[in-house]
Amino acid sequence: MFSLRGCGRWVAASLIKQHLPSARFSGDGAAPWTPHFDVVVIGGGHAGTEAAAAAARCGSRTLLLTHRVDTIGQMSCNPSFGGIGKGHLMREVDALDGLCSRICDQSGVHYKVLNRRKGPAVWGLRAQIDRKLYKQNMQKEILNTPLLTVQEGAVEDLILAEPEPERAGKYRVRGVVLVDGSTVYADSVVLTTGTFLRGVVVIGLETHPAGRLGDQPSVGLAQTLEKLGFVVGRLKTGTPPRIAKESINFSILNKQTPDDPSTPFSFINETVWIKPEDQLPCHLTHTNPRVDEIILENLHLNCHVKETTRGPRYCPSIESKVLRFPNRLHQVWLEPEGMDSDVIYPQGLSVTLPAELQEKMITCIRGLEKAKMIQPGYGVQYDYLDPRQITPSLETHLVQRLFFAGQINGTTGYEEAAAQGVIAGINASLRVRCEPPFVVSRTEGYIGVLIDDLTTQGTSEPYRMFTSRAEFRLSLRPDNADSRLTFRGYKEAGCVSQQRYERASWMKSSLEEGISVLKSIEFSSSKWKSLIPEASISIAKSAPLRALDVLKYEEIDMQLLAKAVPEALKKYSKCRELAERLKIEATYEAVLLHQQEEMKEVQRDEALRLPEDLDYLTLRDVSLSCEVREKLHFSRPQTIGAASRIPGVTPAAIVNLLRYVKTTQQRQAATTRSPQTDQHLCDTDKLERQL
Amino acid sequence: MWRGLWTLVARAARGPLRPCTRQGSSAPAPGSGSTIFALSSGQGRCGIAVIRTSGPASGQALRSLTAPRDLPPARKACLRLLRDPLSAEPLDRALVLWFPGPQSFTGEDCAEFHVHGGPAVVSGVLQALGSVPGLRPAEAGEFTRRAFAHGKLSLTEVEGLADLIHAETEAQRRQALRQLDGELGHLCQGWAETLTRALAHVEAYIDFGEDDNLEEGVLDQANSEVRELEVALGAHLRDARRGQRLRSGAHVVVAGPPNAGKSSLVNLLSRKPVSIVSPEPGTTRDVLETPVDLAGFPALLSDTAGLREGVGPVEQEGVRRAQKRLEQADLILAVLDASDLTSSSSHDFLHTVVIPTVTGSASASSQRLLLVLNKSDLLPSQGPDLHPDLPRYLLLSCLTGEGLDGLLEALRKELAALCGDPSTGPPLLTRARHQHHLQGCLDALGHYKPAKDLALAAEALRVARGHLARLTGRGGTEEILDIIFRDFCVGK
Repeated sequence: MFSLRGCGRWVAASLIKQHLPSARFSGDGAAPWTPHFDVVVIGGGHAGTEAAAAAARCGSRTLLLTHRVDTIGQMSCNPSFGGIGKGHLMREVDALDGLCSRICDQSGVHYKVLNRRKGPAVWGLRAQIDRKLYKQNMQKEILNTPLLTVQEGAVEDLILAEPEPERAGKYRVRGVVLVDGSTVYADSVVLTTGTFLRGVVVIGLETHPAGRLGDQPSVGLAQTLEKLGFVVGRLKTGTPPRIAKESINFSILNKQTPDDPSTPFSFINETVWIKPEDQLPCHLTHTNPRVDEIILENLHLNCHVKETTRGPRYCPSIESKVLRFPNRLHQVWLEPEGMDSDVIYPQGLSVTLPAELQEKMITCIRGLEKAKMIQPGYGVQYDYLDPRQITPSLETHLVQRLFFAGQINGTTGYEEAAAQGVIAGINASLRVRCEPPFVVSRTEGYIGVLIDDLTTQGTSEPYRMFTSRAEFRLSLRPDNADSRLTFRGYKEAGCVSQQRYERASWMKSSLEEGISVLKSIEFSSSKWKSLIPEASISIAKSAPLRALDVLKYEEIDMQLLAKAVPEALKKYSKCRELAERLKIEATYEAVLLHQQEEMKEVQRDEALRLPEDLDYLTLRDVSLSCEVREKLHFSRPQTIGAASRIPGVTPAAIVNLLRYVKTTQQRQAATTRSPQTDQHLCDTDKLERQL
Repeated sequence: MWRGLWTLVARAARGPLRPCTRQGSSAPAPGSGSTIFALSSGQGRCGIAVIRTSGPASGQALRSLTAPRDLPPARKACLRLLRDPLSAEPLDRALVLWFPGPQSFTGEDCAEFHVHGGPAVVSGVLQALGSVPGLRPAEAGEFTRRAFAHGKLSLTEVEGLADLIHAETEAQRRQALRQLDGELGHLCQGWAETLTRALAHVEAYIDFGEDDNLEEGVLDQANSEVRELEVALGAHLRDARRGQRLRSGAHVVVAGPPNAGKSSLVNLLSRKPVSIVSPEPGTTRDVLETPVDLAGFPALLSDTAGLREGVGPVEQEGVRRAQKRLEQADLILAVLDASDLTSSSSHDFLHTVVIPTVTGSASASSQRLLLVLNKSDLLPSQGPDLHPDLPRYLLLSCLTGEGLDGLLEALRKELAALCGDPSTGPPLLTRARHQHHLQGCLDALGHYKPAKDLALAAEALRVARGHLARLTGRGGTEEILDIIFRDFCVGK
């Protein structure tokens, strides 16, 4: 093994070589050396960086292939991370030791928790991020990750081979071919190409092939995927123009200040890198009827809005807002792009009018009368692959060991991409090690909700996370993501550091101990009232109250309780996070008890696994309608639970399916124990490699 | 391991009309922890009706209804006076049996109440059971599923289970269609819409309230809607005994092209002139229904307008109603004029209604159909000259009464099959179900306190909506998102 420090140097060294084209891989000429990695990740965006880092944390020798190293960690749209639902995803990514939360704690310029007054289950951690700092910090992290190599290059094709027997799939991926013709072999490949698959940038009536303004699209790869038989769809998204900071009259606009104190995203950080008083404000302005006029008068110059490619039901562009909700003032948040950046991002003003009309529109908005547009807003249209073609571990049904993560699966947003990235990276690595996949259930996290929705329902608009999508919202909270995922990540995937694991363990045992102490303390309501006069406890109740019940009252926190019963409770009020989490547990205790039964049922159905190689179209001895067969064939659900969530699969079909599976299992159990032998072989293999 | 499946199937089966199978957080957990009850003997004329419970609260249920007596000895029939546990009103003197698990039909604790079969008694006992904490009406096929889950049925026995669930789901679907048509159905539908909208607005306030400018008063409006709903539900539940007019019996619908003699058949079967008959096509324009005793089984007989196109607006409305009623039928009596089989209206009816139903291709429904060729008196004596692909039929003359015995025998067989299955016409059980879920909805609304934790308040609405969804058959997440994006301008 490398030491951490030595490894960093090695990676950095290998990176430098990348800048001398073909210096590294052409070898000494006589015997060209074809490099071989455990995992190759294509794309250095939010899904790609998380995937590459996660695979490396799991112990796989990983290569990250990107068009340009200096765009790794680029935030190509809004200068912010998190929000309601999205913040939940970030906490879960962090619980699996992912990167984006930690990087945000080092790169933010305005931290604010949304929904503070609406209940801790729906708090939305959010921050304005300094683009430059984020990129720098992300690149530093990526280039210093042990076992992770970075190389510049555009992927043109996949190297395919015969599929492994006993598994679903027509092919098996063995590596990738780059544009320059060179090849890289890999045991698993993760594709995170974002909007680059046949990406087209649209401004007004002009279109340019590009994945992002100024970057080439991937056309060859898109063709390869289509030729293999993947079902491809098309989506669109957009981004607003950028405005020069000094040209805006902030003095007449509403100012929003950050939280004091700031709440960090990561479980392992006590604070963020910057003090609240040094953080930047945001400002709020609104559109007006003049903006509506300019948009409506020029619809004929706006092909992005007219075309039929599916945009989301929610309103991403100012055009769709004006068209669907006319005669209203729409919010425009003016967000700083960084500490020393002179660029302002007008959130809510995503537009695809011709550039000169964009400037005209901007200048009729209050505070922006003299604004200078630095870069016009634009739309992007791109290919995505129907996500029902992937498993919950994000591996494709069609090509074994090929994983998809991020916008390629039809999602939108950095956080959604990062969440898929971590899962794809972990599973790409587990696949190399012949270990079972790491799947997050709907009952365990927003990551599970996201992936289950995508793989069972598909999506026809860019999929964005909302808390209303999570049926177990009260259980899947930002505060407890570590207790839901960190232990699994540590034990099953090996993607969690010892330090994080120990911290999560300490927190878990402290919480359990604290709750049992709170349950054990019982007084009459009149005694509680005299101990804590500020509590709104009704003394009419005769039954004794537990300290946990008292903590449920809105005005009570651990500090107040600890003052009332110091000898038993003082130790639990000292750590701010522990005290806050005890309060949250108390708030939801009664409802969660109820929800747990329901979650158990979902988990039981998910424990009933369907064989991977089931051919639903030709399956005999099972009475299934053609419609159900086709649906099952396309989505290939892995469990009875997932099958039951596919629209159109009837209860009777589920029972029939189960009877079939149960009968088959009994038959198989009677034959050999070959799977175990396989597992054993793999273990030996791994041992040899380690030696 | 196996237990989970059954709760899953129950979950999927309970909303047969729901387009999206993904379940929002909603209905109360129907898991291993819950105790179910159902009328498990058939409908029809019977001296004794059997009501069964299964689950951990079975003993509690038995004790509540037979208080102050203790549980009877295991597997021994005992005579007990049943009382409503809330009002202490006597319900019936009945035989009760106590089967502690695992030596029971389902493997769980079970109780059986053998009560006198009158509808009032059965309905009273079902309502009394519904009021015992932890008890809820069973879903389609749930007893059998539990039995299987506990290893009480073999795999081969379970083969029939999928069919059973399918049939019961279908029966419930038809039952639901009938109810949705009625007064109560409209009420439930309206409540569900109000609740869904209120929940969508609360969800919008949670997911978008801070970032996007939602209109002022979104939450206030939701609050007042929820409070109004609470009042309406409360009033309805207090009034429930009078409010519901669900008729018992299998639904038998007489249908066919105009002037085939449908009304004559209805009059013949009900032995009284329910419908006006005339030689003029299109005489019957509305759906006429009459409760009858058919071959010993209670049934609701409906006469419908002849199915044809291109007539006046009143008759067209009659045709529309006829088609609707056809969808809700348990048994269709398809009537054709034996002497007029080649006409286009006969041909259309055969190919749009009779053949699809007989071959089972019509939306996989499990409807039954008897094809009756009326006016056999008009046929030449050597039998009708029929085209070869006609399904099995019965010949009848409403005029002379010839063939009536054969028809009654066929009806008896069909109705025996229909009514022998307790799920087909369960208005009593349906009433208990309604009351159970409406009460559950009302209780959940009581936990809606938007001033405090809004996530908790929304959870109360989700649970409430789950209860209503069990009655109306909707309740997915997408519906909520649709409303949010329709009513609000949100997004970046």
